[in-house]
Amino acid sequence: MSSLVGFLSLVFAIGINFYLFLSRYIFKFQKQKFNLFIRFSSLLTLLSFFSLMYAYVVSDFSNYNVFQNSHSNKPLIYKISGTWGNHEGSMLLWLCILSIFSFFFSFTKNIEDNFQKLTLIIQAFLHILFGLFIVFTSNPFLVNSILVNEGLGLNPILQDPGLAVHPPILYAGYVGYSIVFSIAIAGLFQNTDDEWLYVAKKWSLISWTFLTGGIALGSYWAYYELGWGGWWFWDPVENISLMPWIAGLALVHSLMMVRGEQAIKKWIVFLSILCFSLSVFGTFLVRSGILTSVHSFAADASRGIFILLIFFIVTGFGFLVFLLKEPKKSNALNLLFINKVSALVINNILMIIATLTILLGTIYPIIIEVLYNKRISVGGPYFNSTVIPIMIPGFLLMSIAPILSWQTNKINNSKKYVLAFIILSVLVLIQSYFLDFNTWGFVGLLLGFWIILASIIAIFSSYKIKINIKFFKIINPHVAHIGVGIAIIGITCSSVFQNELDFNLNEGDKFNVNGKTVLFEKIETTNEINFQSLRGKFLFDIEKNQSKEIEAGKNYYPVSKMITSEAGILHQWNKDIYFILGDQKNNEWFVKVLINPFVSFIWLGVIIMIYSGLIAVTRR
Amino acid sequence: MSLRFQRLLFILLTLVIILSAVLLILYNTRENVSYFYTPSEIDKSDIIINKIIRIGGFVENNSFNKISSSSFKFKITDEKASILVTFKGILPDLFREGQGAVIEGAFVDKNIFNATNVFAKHDENYMPASIKEDLKDTGYWNKKYK
Repeated sequence: MSSLVGFLSLVFAIGINFYLFLSRYIFKFQKQKFNLFIRFSSLLTLLSFFSLMYAYVVSDFSNYNVFQNSHSNKPLIYKISGTWGNHEGSMLLWLCILSIFSFFFSFTKNIEDNFQKLTLIIQAFLHILFGLFIVFTSNPFLVNSILVNEGLGLNPILQDPGLAVHPPILYAGYVGYSIVFSIAIAGLFQNTDDEWLYVAKKWSLISWTFLTGGIALGSYWAYYELGWGGWWFWDPVENISLMPWIAGLALVHSLMMVRGEQAIKKWIVFLSILCFSLSVFGTFLVRSGILTSVHSFAADASRGIFILLIFFIVTGFGFLVFLLKEPKKSNALNLLFINKVSALVINNILMIIATLTILLGTIYPIIIEVLYNKRISVGGPYFNSTVIPIMIPGFLLMSIAPILSWQTNKINNSKKYVLAFIILSVLVLIQSYFLDFNTWGFVGLLLGFWIILASIIAIFSSYKIKINIKFFKIINPHVAHIGVGIAIIGITCSSVFQNELDFNLNEGDKFNVNGKTVLFEKIETTNEINFQSLRGKFLFDIEKNQSKEIEAGKNYYPVSKMITSEAGILHQWNKDIYFILGDQKNNEWFVKVLINPFVSFIWLGVIIMIYSGLIAVTRR
Repeated sequence: MSLRFQRLLFILLTLVIILSAVLLILYNTRENVSYFYTPSEIDKSDIIINKIIRIGGFVENNSFNKISSSSFKFKITDEKASILVTFKGILPDLFREGQGAVIEGAFVDKNIFNATNVFAKHDENYMPASIKEDLKDTGYWNKKYK
């Protein structure tokens, strides 16, 4: 029943959007009526999504999708998240978020009616494309032809609170670029004043903030759930999310800097189209199964071709409009050797090169296979040694960019900065001399600390310190950069200075980690609602009274007969101690201990970036 | 500095950045790319010792051997040929006989492949063999399941 409601409302929503799309040419609507229709179709799409969710919650196995991906004894949260834990449901979520963005956009005030209407018509067009994709290739409302009273269960590795919220947030980022795309195209068509730039800025910040959160959640999940001790693996699925993120970062910066220059305006339109194209292209790569990924999603050729078609329509249409229409009324580019504009241009060039490098590394295996019929894999080493060097000049530039002038080459207080940089370099050099010296470690730490220091100097020497909301809005760019600096320190330390220790242990053994004695207490097995757990219990630092307990082990899910690893992590502010329980033979267990210094700084840096993204949304 | 000169300098700088990026990419696509083979594609006479490659296939049934709690021996097969693999460390959760796996590492001699990384596939449509049997027995088997 709920499946029927869901399917019908989905089809009805697509129908309304089709009607609205035609309305541009055939039926002329009042703005009020038009917006009502848009909102109504959004609500219908939402209804469709919630009826699928309802089917999951009540375990309605007459729905084929629910049968394949759910099980009645799962905890409620995983029944809900199971809705998007599969291809069909996640595409419906994608569509649902698309219409939520249209819904909110229809409430935007102070913009020209025709411009708003055109933006929403382009959104309606996208809704039709993806809606038809769902109906024809990935319908989540198919009826199960066999009678069953139990489902096959959700992949246990997806049964995790972090991963339950990761897809909606990530998708909000991806799909958010659809509205930026529509705004940019509508801006070109209408050729109005620069009003669309402000609107685009707000929405691109919202998308970028969501995307940041989504990527961070995904990599945090990989950190504690996959049990590999790392948080970023340059896996194709990760790269795909990183590309629109970097392009989106370039877009956000260009939008903040634009002062009506013709060249930058064109560039902004280009970036808007690029961001959404990359999102759709990413969906194509993941969903088509062309890429061999360790995450490996369900593959189906017809879906791949359909999404590829959508990709070509969207990108082709976007870039065609871009080439034919030109923004009018504009100022020339005020480019000097080192002023804000030139810093912005260099920053954008670097980000685009980085995006292209990642894109190339991700699709290179496909190109080689098509051309030479050889299969290759491009892994971490390629990305580390191309993307990082490309980003380094950008990071250097970023430390001083906010205080550069618009008109001249002069930098205020330049002596102060040079002095600070020299002192900092010496300090970091001395510090890394006492630890084991490592070039990447030195460069990373210097960059991270320098960005933080330069931003703090800028805050203190350029503004009067006040504690009110306005002040926090003014220093927001610096705060964002401090976040990046902190994240760089975390990334450098946790990857360069990671320490790995291997042990073979019997229950009751004591061993030494980082100068602290650890006791391997016992192995314990328990039965939980939908899995059995096996845990190795460790007492960390037993010489002190407040010794910490760490549990590392595995879960066994009888429904799908699968095992997942559960790493035991002791979080300290300056390091994570990461326990992985391996295999056993004759009661001797293999235990791997990783010491990851300053991992918490990565998450702290990301939280600061998200915070400043949110602040920037509220700032005009 | 005149405005013209500044712009020239700026354009030169941009070109230098782009050029170095291109060189970086070209160098790294040569150095940091590993080739992927199936066991039957590996020619025994052509093996380069210690060159890092990837091999994909299935873990051969009855080939898995636990030497200690952290070192393992098994065979990767594509039903035409198989390769003996040694691995030290923790095997992924989805690793088991009869399942697909990709291993990364190098040959230490003509017959033994030393894996440094083992990947087993995560798949949302993953169907455990026993459930597959159950479904087949009851006639619920559908070709869509892998």
